[in-house]
Amino acid sequence: MLFIKLNIQRFAHKKGQSSTDNGRDSRGRRLGAKLSDGQTCTAGAIIYRQRGTKIYPGNNVGMGKDHTLFSKIDGIVKYERAGKDKKKVSVYEAK
Amino acid sequence: MMIKVEFRKDNIIVSGHANYKEYGNDIVCASVSSIIYTTINGILNINKEAIKFTDNDILEINILSNDEITIKLINNMLELLKDLERQYPKNIIVKEK
Repeated sequence: MLFIKLNIQRFAHKKGQSSTDNGRDSRGRRLGAKLSDGQTCTAGAIIYRQRGTKIYPGNNVGMGKDHTLFSKIDGIVKYERAGKDKKKVSVYEAK
Repeated sequence: MMIKVEFRKDNIIVSGHANYKEYGNDIVCASVSSIIYTTINGILNINKEAIKFTDNDILEINILSNDEITIKLINNMLELLKDLERQYPKNIIVKEK
């Protein structure tokens, strides 16, 4: 075909040729329990990774600035209730 | 994304999308298409050997003859597209290499 066929939307953006600015996401942070109830742990062991205080620090448990809960002593991990609707985790010395 | 027109010594490459409005209502695209198509068919009507074009993902025009009419029509196209670029700088860019 010698001549070019007129298409006045030749350089327009067709539906479905969408380019979106989305499509990005950060890597999963592997939050949650690292030690479960009844497990033994050593001092300094991380028990729970979280954002905010989903679970509160109980006896012999410390909280880092990123709300990570860790054990202060060697012992056994115990998940307990804290008040009406909250949870906490404690570590008790092994008998 | 915008329409990119690259003018080289003996060929012209047009690619991209104007993104001025959605398909069917994009007046910048319509202007660019009309200017280019009029020039291509105009030249071919006068001298079938003066240019060759390929119209796939990108539109490419190869200038095979340096006769006065072909050069004048090509330069006329260039000036019109540059005019459009001044009016719609976000939707078309014209480069002379």
